[in-house]
Amino acid sequence: MSSAVMDKPVAAVTAPKRLRWLRILAWLVLLVVLLALPLYLDASWLKAGEYAMVGAVGAIGLTLLVGQAGQLSLAHAFFLLAGGTAYCVLAGPTKDERVLGFGLDPLLSLVLAVAFTALLGLAFAPVSGRLRGIYLGVASLSLVFLGLYFGQSASTLTGGTSTGREPAAFELFGFPFDNTGPRIEILGVPFRQAEKSWYLFLALTIIALVLAWGAVKGRIGRSWRAVRDNEASAAVMGVNVARAKAGAFAISSAYAGLAGVMTVLWYDILKPDESEYGTYGINVSIAYLAMVIIGGLGSVGGALVGALIVNGLPQVLALYSTQAGLFTQSGEGAFTPVLVSIFIYGAAIILVVLFEPGGLAAIGRRITGFSRKNPGKEGPR
Amino acid sequence: MRRLSLALCAVLAVGACSTKAGDSGSSGSDASGVKTDVGVTSSEIVLGVMTDMSGPFKNLSIGITHGNQLWVNDINAAGGVCGRKLRLEVVDHGYKADTAKTLYPQLEPKILGMVQLVGSPITAALKGNIQADKVTTTPASWSSELLDNPYIMVVGTTYDVEMIDGMAYLQEQGMVKDGDTVGHIYIDGEYGANGLRGSRYYAQKHNLQLKEVKITSTDTDLTNIVTGLRGQGVKSIMLTTTPSQTGSVMAANKALGLNVPVLGNNPTYDPVLLKSPAANALDKLYVVASSVPYSADIPKEQQVAAKYKAAGFPEPPNAGTPYGYAVAEVWGTVLKKACDNKDLTRDGVLAALQQTTSADTGDLVAALDFSKPGAPATRQVYVAQADASVEGGVKYVKPLFEAPDAKDYQAPHQK
Amino acid sequence: MSTFLQLVVNGLGKGAVYALLALGFVIIFKSTEVINFAHGSLVLFGGYIVVVTRDALGWAGASVLGIVTAGLLALVIERLLLSRSRLADPASLALLTIGVDVIVTEEIVRRIGVSVPFIGEAWDANPVRIGEITLFRTHLVALGVAAVLITAFYLAFKYSNWGIAMRAQAENREAAALMGIRSSRVTATAWLVAGLLAGVAVLFIATQDFSGSGLSRGTHSIALAAFPAAILGGLDSTAGAVVGGLVVGIAEALSAQYISFDFSKSAVFLVMLVVLVIRPSGLFGTRESTRV
Repeated sequence: MSSAVMDKPVAAVTAPKRLRWLRILAWLVLLVVLLALPLYLDASWLKAGEYAMVGAVGAIGLTLLVGQAGQLSLAHAFFLLAGGTAYCVLAGPTKDERVLGFGLDPLLSLVLAVAFTALLGLAFAPVSGRLRGIYLGVASLSLVFLGLYFGQSASTLTGGTSTGREPAAFELFGFPFDNTGPRIEILGVPFRQAEKSWYLFLALTIIALVLAWGAVKGRIGRSWRAVRDNEASAAVMGVNVARAKAGAFAISSAYAGLAGVMTVLWYDILKPDESEYGTYGINVSIAYLAMVIIGGLGSVGGALVGALIVNGLPQVLALYSTQAGLFTQSGEGAFTPVLVSIFIYGAAIILVVLFEPGGLAAIGRRITGFSRKNPGKEGPR
Repeated sequence: MRRLSLALCAVLAVGACSTKAGDSGSSGSDASGVKTDVGVTSSEIVLGVMTDMSGPFKNLSIGITHGNQLWVNDINAAGGVCGRKLRLEVVDHGYKADTAKTLYPQLEPKILGMVQLVGSPITAALKGNIQADKVTTTPASWSSELLDNPYIMVVGTTYDVEMIDGMAYLQEQGMVKDGDTVGHIYIDGEYGANGLRGSRYYAQKHNLQLKEVKITSTDTDLTNIVTGLRGQGVKSIMLTTTPSQTGSVMAANKALGLNVPVLGNNPTYDPVLLKSPAANALDKLYVVASSVPYSADIPKEQQVAAKYKAAGFPEPPNAGTPYGYAVAEVWGTVLKKACDNKDLTRDGVLAALQQTTSADTGDLVAALDFSKPGAPATRQVYVAQADASVEGGVKYVKPLFEAPDAKDYQAPHQK
Repeated sequence: MSTFLQLVVNGLGKGAVYALLALGFVIIFKSTEVINFAHGSLVLFGGYIVVVTRDALGWAGASVLGIVTAGLLALVIERLLLSRSRLADPASLALLTIGVDVIVTEEIVRRIGVSVPFIGEAWDANPVRIGEITLFRTHLVALGVAAVLITAFYLAFKYSNWGIAMRAQAENREAAALMGIRSSRVTATAWLVAGLLAGVAVLFIATQDFSGSGLSRGTHSIALAAFPAAILGGLDSTAGAVVGGLVVGIAEALSAQYISFDFSKSAVFLVMLVVLVIRPSGLFGTRESTRV
């Protein structure tokens, strides 16, 4: 992939030790704050944060694929649908006449759903051997349409495009993450579905983050970057190009599958789309791509910030608007929060490509005075 | 270091704020001993409206909302219920079940019950929530699959029975005979599937070859489907679709020279079609419904129409308004009974609903009987055709009737 | 049999419009190697201008204005954004067009609101019958217009200075520049022409005959058909674009009847995937070779 946007490398750290401890401490503080938030925030704000976390998990996966391995994919929404559907089918009730379910344990279903989606990603990977760059992106669009067809026709699995189906409530060793189960109070605050889901989603996001960092810093990340920068050279260096690409697709799809499970848990419904615009449509693939472009292709931390902007902002704006009375019109010609957020991230994509191809990660590096030197690639181009 | 200290201070400051412990809703009883919980204060009762203001059924839904509002204005002018004024809290889900799922938790804590919930699929998706939260609902959806939920009250004839009555009408008029081939184009989900249930029942009884075609709510060009049906020699086409899809079918029906009678469930027609390019192809469309057209000459409807004009709503009127008025009136009956029982809680409303075995809507809707759970409250429909010369765009061609086949039909949850 | 023929007729009619969309798409690609994800928004923009000016200018005037403004928007996008980008590589520019598409589409959908205005003319919903076969007049007009425009472009490509310059630039950008061909002028003109074609296409899309719907978000989805049509034909072949468009139209119609309606909506994209994998340069495109 020879896009200059994707040429901003993430390479060896040369930061002094004190700065490194500062960063770790900052992350710890953030973690403590996040753990404490359900004690202070209302359910609707928690839901907004959870939606940002869903975006974060998906975006991390996509930035690994597009930014680290250099494979452009617009199929992310398809894998979201696959993961969500797999979870619902595996964990769903066995006696429902309308839809199929296997009644498996939710945690097991989540893991299997992620594995299933990874396999789907693996199945698509050979296409990346035949196609490169933007052609791969266009080819991946067809997967979204495959998802559309699947959602409409396999209604015993998906519930159909009108009603969909309810996901089984997530449970961890018998502890339910919805409003059933024993009443829990921590420091006087009742812990219902929104609070419990917050911790679940937070845990999943942290796992996703840590694994991604590990991959980027490790051998697999190096092999991806080698493939991204020059396939022929990578092959000469001994990287199995096909295997690296396959791994990238599998891992990225696994992340998307996890994000898909989180999506259906967040909505409390799996409902495939009636058209190319919806919860699993091209617009969502583009939204995830926006997250990674804005954050800086290949930057895992950037993916988090991108997700906050693209997924978190419309939710936050919607909540503020009901409180502050802005954007409250609906219907004809209204500037709804969703619309304003879409303008913002559309503009952000344009600005990033025009002026700062490294995205927010590059801007962040400049602000904190870090310099990440990659021998062989100097300067803005 | 400085930045870190700032961060730590921020955390401490947040820690010093109080948690949200102790916030909860209020309930109890008021001065006259009427129990209340969610959605009722000492001065007002709030009813929820989850409607479609931006999707395929927006015109009908907006009409229904106006009807609801007209009734609310009337009841408030007459002093309200239980000494409280009524208020509607309206949200727009655009006919998307996932949007509705995210809006519902924001709406539910504010309302006593729902006077309007548009879309059988949306109602089906919220079925569990409605039951868990005990929100009595009169959905603007006529699927008989919904009848097993005690909190849901379907005001009118259900789609399957509408279809059976309509097909009986076509046969009575000689447009369809036993043994003919007919087509049914339906949207996937509760709405279409319920209409299909009716046509399958009728087709089986009368040995009709039924060609079923499933579409989805955002499809707009059905020309190829009608071409296929023409090739299969259909003598009539049934529709359980959106109005714009109806327009496409009617236009193709005429353009392809098929020219067969087309029968649609009540939401398939919208007078807006009279202004679309399909306007000159609507003569073959027959619509069945159990609530009267806007232009009906019954006294009650004429009053409603007058109120609509007086209210100055910008949208042209349609059949949604008399229906919305009638449904709200049914709610009024239930609320008054709950008030008499001195229980305006969610449970109290349910109890009052179950005591309401019949409801009088001044003939705006066919006579309703809610005493048999699981069975449609009425099986009567009238048949109408598009007519550009009347307000509301439809006129009767056959007044309220019930076909013998409809009488015998067993709805899915009927005991 | 008459069903089959009717479906083919339906498909060809729609195919003519898909061909126009694909042609505009390919013109941009041929001159710049950029895949224009914003093509759908050009279509919407032209249609929107027609909707708002139709009462004042009548259909003919509004259409001309719509076509011209769609072309101008394309030109503006190219001049203001693409040419200014520090990164000249096509993949990044394609990503940039995604951003443009998102903004323009959402703004126009916002302005259209909940109305779904039809922009067909008197020939819409007014078909011609020849025996058992119905010919939708909108399709006939579209076929005629497409034939004229495509012939005009073919002649221009082959014989005009601009056409030669474009072909030269597509072959070898540096050599063309060395020969005195102003690359920026060729690129700008290519975008302008693509925009004009998009403006023409929308006049036939937002009609009863073609889509059963007026101008709406669905119009943008329909314009997406340009992708498989162009790719089928080969992204750098204008003749391929035309053939691709017709094939897409016919495939859609036939699969709706003989496979299933659900499938027909996604079928062409799956076919596109197959074509890309097996024959990445499409049916008519030139085979690409990469330098190591």
